[in-house]
Formats: sequence, C-alpha cells, structure tokens
Amino acid sequence: MGRVLSAKNVTLAGAAAVLIVAGLLPLGVMGAKSLGHYGPVLSNARNWKLLANSLLLAGSTTAVAALAGVPLAILFGKTNLPFRRLFAVLFSLPLLLPPYVLAVGWFQVLGSSWLFGLPGCILVLASCYMPVVMLLTMVYLRTVNPALEEAGRLSANGWRVLTGISLPLAAPGVILSLLLVFLLTLGEFGATTFLRFDVFPVASFTQFSAFYDFGAATAAAMPLVAITLAGLLVERRFLHGKTFAFRWAAPAESSRIRLRALGPLLLLAVLAAMAVALPLSAIFWRGASPRALGDAFHRAGDSALRSLLYAVTAATILTPLGFLLSYLIHRRALPGWRLLDALGLFLFTLPGTVLGIGLIVLWNRPATNWIYTTPLIVIAGFIAQYTALSTRLMLAGLSQVPVAMEEAAELSGAGWVRRIWRILAPLCRGSIGAAWIVTCLFCLRDSSLPLLLAPPGLDTLTARTMTLMANGAPDLIAALCILLVAVTALPLAALAFVWRRRA
Amino acid sequence: MRRRIRLPVLLAGLLASAGCGARRSTTVVVYVSEDQVFSEPILKDFEKETGIRVRAVYDTEEAKSTGVMNRLLAEKNNPQADVYWANEPIRAGLLRQQGISTPYSPGNAKGIPSQFKDPQGYWTGFSARARLLVVSKTAAHKPAGLQAYLDPRWRGRAVIANPLFGTTTAQMAALFSLWGDQKAKQFLAGLRANQVKLSTGNGESADLVASGAFDFSLVDSDDAVSRARQGRPIEIVYPDQGEDGAGVFLIPNAVVLIKGGANTENGKKLMDYLVSEETERKLAAADCAQIPLHPGVPTPPEIKPVDRIKTMKVDYAEIAARLTAIQPVLKEWVGY
Repeated sequence: MGRVLSAKNVTLAGAAAVLIVAGLLPLGVMGAKSLGHYGPVLSNARNWKLLANSLLLAGSTTAVAALAGVPLAILFGKTNLPFRRLFAVLFSLPLLLPPYVLAVGWFQVLGSSWLFGLPGCILVLASCYMPVVMLLTMVYLRTVNPALEEAGRLSANGWRVLTGISLPLAAPGVILSLLLVFLLTLGEFGATTFLRFDVFPVASFTQFSAFYDFGAATAAAMPLVAITLAGLLVERRFLHGKTFAFRWAAPAESSRIRLRALGPLLLLAVLAAMAVALPLSAIFWRGASPRALGDAFHRAGDSALRSLLYAVTAATILTPLGFLLSYLIHRRALPGWRLLDALGLFLFTLPGTVLGIGLIVLWNRPATNWIYTTPLIVIAGFIAQYTALSTRLMLAGLSQVPVAMEEAAELSGAGWVRRIWRILAPLCRGSIGAAWIVTCLFCLRDSSLPLLLAPPGLDTLTARTMTLMANGAPDLIAALCILLVAVTALPLAALAFVWRRRA
Repeated sequence: MRRRIRLPVLLAGLLASAGCGARRSTTVVVYVSEDQVFSEPILKDFEKETGIRVRAVYDTEEAKSTGVMNRLLAEKNNPQADVYWANEPIRAGLLRQQGISTPYSPGNAKGIPSQFKDPQGYWTGFSARARLLVVSKTAAHKPAGLQAYLDPRWRGRAVIANPLFGTTTAQMAALFSLWGDQKAKQFLAGLRANQVKLSTGNGESADLVASGAFDFSLVDSDDAVSRARQGRPIEIVYPDQGEDGAGVFLIPNAVVLIKGGANTENGKKLMDYLVSEETERKLAAADCAQIPLHPGVPTPPEIKPVDRIKTMKVDYAEIAARLTAIQPVLKEWVGY
C-alpha cells in the first residue's frame, strides 16, 4: 500500500489527472454528443476528398519543411558559417505569427493568382512551420555527445561524421519535428480557407458554423484520431530504444565543419529574402508607421499584456507537467501510460473549436464560474491542447539520459524526488528550456482557443487581431502583427537571458 | 525560497486580477457579430455616455460571423452574455427557437419600420445592409435582377457566395420563403446548370467581379461600396426594381436580449443606445456604409435611402424558421 502511495506514484498520477481533467473530460462531453453522427460523416464522399486534400497538403508541407529545415539546422548547428545565429533567428520569425497572418502577408506580396490553391498553401505553411524542423534538429544535434563525433573524426571527414553519427543520433528530434509539422498542417484551417484550398477541418467547421451541430462537428473531427495514432506509431517505431550518452553543450568551434562562407551565405540570404523577408516586409512596410503602431497599441495593448500573461502561465504549468508525463511514459511508471501518450497527441491535433466547445459545456456552470469566467478557462484550454508538445520534447530529452544513472542514484539511497531534482532535471535542462519556450510560443500564437474561451473583455492579442481583421484597416492589422512579433520576442529574450546567466 | 515562489505567486496574482470584476452592476456583457472595427467605437461611446463598462466578445471574418453564435448556444444553460449584437436577424430567430433570448422592445426603436422588428420583441433591427448586384464595368450586358443568374448570356460569368454561410444563407432562405420550395429549388438547379461560380464569401465575390474575372455577383452593400470607394471598375445595381420585381433583400443588424443574463437592466440600456438614430448615423458615416432605418437619418452617398429602394417583403421570423428546414437542401446543393 505504501508503495502504491509513494511520492512518485502520487505525483505522476496527479500529472495524469491534470491532463485527464483538462482534456479528456471535455472530450468525453463532445464524444457523447457525437454518437449517432459517425455514419453520415464516414459515408460522405466529399469528406474523404477533403481528407485526401489534407493529407496531400500535410505531406507536401512536411516534405518541404524537412528539405529546407534539416540542411539549415546543419548549417547553423554544425558549421562555422558566419552570422549563423542571426540567420537562425531570421528563419524562425514566421513561427511567431499565426499562419493566417502570414498568408495575408504573402497575399500582399504575390496577389491571388499566384498564391491561391495547393501550391500557395504549401508555400505559406512550409515557411511557417519550417522553423519547427530547423530548431528541433538544431537542439538535437547539440545533444549528441561530442566524444562520439571526435572519435569519428579520427577516421572520417566532417561531413561523413555528420551523416554517419550526428544526424542518425539526432534522428528522434528530426522525426518528432516532422510529426509536429504534419499534425499542425493537418489541423490548419484559417490559412487554407484564406488561400481557397478545401481541407478536412472544413467538414468540422461547417458543422459548427452553418448547422450549429456540435455532435456532427465532433464526429467530423474524429478521423484525425486515426491519423494521429498512425503518426504516434511511426514516431514510436523510430524512437523506440534510442538511448544515447547525453551532453548538453554547444560544439567546440574547432569541431565545426569548415565552409567557404561566400557561396552558402549568398544562398541563405536569397532564401531568407524569399521565405521570410518578403511576407514580413510587406507587413512591416504597412504597419511600421508611428501612427499605425500607436493605434495598434491603443486598441490592443491590454490584449498584448494578457497574451503574455496567459502564455507564460500556461508554459510554466506545461513544462513540469510535460516532464512528469514524459517520465511516466518513458519509464512506463503507471498502467495506462500508452493511453496517456495517445491522449496528449490526440488533443494536440483536435481542432481548437471542438476542444473549446467541450470546455464550455463542461465548465460553464454556476458552481465552476470561478474557472469559466476567469482566464483559468483559457489556461485549461492551452494545457489540454499543448501538453503533447511539452511531453514530446521532454520525452525526447529524457530518452537520451541513460536509465542507469537514475538506478545508480537509487541504489545509493536517493529518493525519487531527489533523483528527479538532482539528476534528471539538470540533465534535461535543455529540453526543459525548449519545452517552456515552445509551449509559450504556441500559446502566444493560438487564436482559436482564446476566441472561444477568453472571458468577455479579457481577450488575447491574436484574438483581437483576428476580430479586427474583419474589415480593419490593413495598416492597423499589419501594426498588430508587429506588436505580436514584439510580444513573442519577450519570452525568447527572457529565456536567452536565463540561459546566458546559467552558462 | 522567496525567489523560487516569486514567479508563480506573481502569475497567480495577475491572473486573479485579470479575472476580477467579472460581474458588477456597472457592467454589461455583449457578444458582437458586427465587425469589431465598426462596433467597438459605438460601444466605447456608450461606455463614455453611461459609465457602464462594456465587456465584449467579437467575432472573426474567419468564423463567418458564427463564432459567438456557437458560444451563445454552448452557454445556453449558464448564459454569460446580456446582449447579442447580430449582423443579421435570422440567427436572432434561431436564438429564440432555442430559448436563449427574451423579449424586450427598446423605446428608441419606435421610428424603425415594423418589418424590421420582431413583433414580440425578441429582436430589434437597425442599420441595414442591402443585397445588391455588383457588376463589372467591362461586362457586355448589365443584369437587372436575380434571374440573370439563370440567363445563358451569363453562363459561367456570374459568381455567388457559398449559401451555407453568412448573408447568402439568409438570402436563400428569403427566396424559399418568397417563392416557395419548388421555384427556389429550380433556381438553385438553374445556378448549377448555368455554371455559376461558388465563392467562399461576399468579399471574394466582389473582388472577382472587380478584377473582371466575372460579370456580376450578389453581395452585401458594404462589399459593393468598399470596392467603389477603392475606385475599382464596378457598378452597383439594385436588383428586381421593376413592377413585377421582388425588390432588394434588406438585412438589418439585430439586437437581442439574452435570457438569464447577469446585467439585464444594463443590457436594456445598451439595446436602447444601439437602435438609436445617433448609432445609425455613426454606422452610416463609417466605412461599413450601413443604411439607416430611422426616417431622416442621412444615408451614405453611394447608397440610395431605404424609402427610394423597392425592398423585398419578407417575414424575418419565417426566414429563420426556413433556414433550418432548407439546410439539407443547401448542404446537398453545395456538395457537403
């Protein structure tokens, strides 16, 4: 009995309970409403065509993001290229904006005839999500033990070491990033609607917006379950049993692959200009006037502060939650760990509208007004939607810490809490930082949950930008996007500051 | 230790303060489907004039003005809103059917013609949009009414917004109400046969016509006026103005009192403010160029006053009822 109620089991069960309450309960509410709607959804030929469109778009976007993101990560993470940090920041900028906003930026550059349809969607979404591949690959390349690479360099050149040792060892991170890009693209609705390409989330959206049929909308979202589970299986297939010696450090300058700088620099400059500078400069050109920025701050300054507050709070909860759940999953510490893993990923892919309505139906009662009428409901939504992100990031970090280290500490008499605090957390600090900043960024750029859940008068900057986009002046909208970029830069700067101080 | 707990305590404090004051007698909660750029200044003016704090939830273009409707429906058992400012009265009818609204007839709406008000006070209309034809200046022929959609001269040259969303849904429900099921279904079949292009919304329809890709489209008056003000090569045609014509379908804003709201009295004050002549004057002068329904309030220069337009005689309550009934027909027609 004492063993069952150990600090470890109680803590891990508590973490699982948070995910279940935040995510599974609203899902259950929506699931109950959806019974009886699956027949029409599955027998509708149009839905299958939309699903095929979504898979085509997600597959193509993932391929383009991989083709661009992995080489860029190698360039910035493993070579001596000048200005590599500056380029890494530049290529990451599109991730700070909702895809819908980026689509508007591209529209101002290219116009409709060039942009609308599948190619335009791939262009916008790949430029938006490529940084996920680039950043995660960079993070995982840094986790490769330099001793292994140094040993390799005794008998092979830098590129051979990279392709034979570094990249295979960083493969879990690359695969995780590809899975994330695939799932994010699969659930994308706003940008695809703007770019006139019908995708599967339209089926669920139409049930909500044209027919107000919550049950049918939920049923229409369910085919994503199968795809998510398939993605989970693929990821598990590649990650299973991958445990490596871990060391979190930037590679020594001498170990970097030497490049002749001019060629790659020119190529990067052209790529950065095309993929990042064009849409963002269109936004900056329109919105960077003092008048537009002043108007944007006047209209949405309070929303910007709230965005930051909600995102930082959610990320600060999601990081330890992800750590505990990843421990639970990696060590298979409690029965049902596989289901928790699947639940987290499923919630991540679920359209925000389905999750949002589920949360409203569940929590909007007089007894729980203290949750529903306060920002706690938005935080609950973020926890439900993004736990998978922090869990996956932590899981990949945890999988690189040999279990033997914890076992040795246990044999020495260290309790579970002490082992976590003194051994695992310090060894995973890179993943902890990555989980915090990634979840913070995703919460900052989320619009669908705040639009549905933010209490009246307490909206976020993304929600306000989206509502002002309806017939709002283009200068104001562009200025709001600049404000969003500025707000997003704050947690990045805070994390960089902490990292530097620790280093 | 003090340092470690500082951040969580700060966040909790800030969150608590963000959630404070959710329900006060000096507050009114309004859900708004009218575009925020046009509605927010009106609500700010109300705050200034009455001292009542307005806490608003706005809708997005992306959600086709249905996001707050979904929220109202989901919150049915524990309503958070006091007032719903809808951009058309049809969904206000749906709220009545669902038992979400309660009657109130604002005193300031006395001058508004009765056809734009629910007789029992479940919604009150003000500041309307008209459903007009936007016609390309390069078009070889000029359409005069909706039957042009079926005319072989415009085969493949006309465009209409997806009737599952927005004001085009209301327009279709109005046609079903006016013509009866058989004729309306024939009209829908005729659109298909004449290769009418389906767009995602009225804005896209207006742009397609303005670019010369299509000859004409049925759109909202604000879409037409905005393209005209941009200097795009379009003309505005008031459809079916002849003796036998059905007239222009007018879609007023509608304001609805929500049943069980926490600040009902403040909600009533806001409703009175919204339907006033002063609000109509502001909405007419704004870029949305809405048509005042109070007699004597100036109309935007690009639009004819309501008394000079032959309007479609429709019962909005019936249209709301029709909306639910015709959804399977529209769904099948669109191919969902």
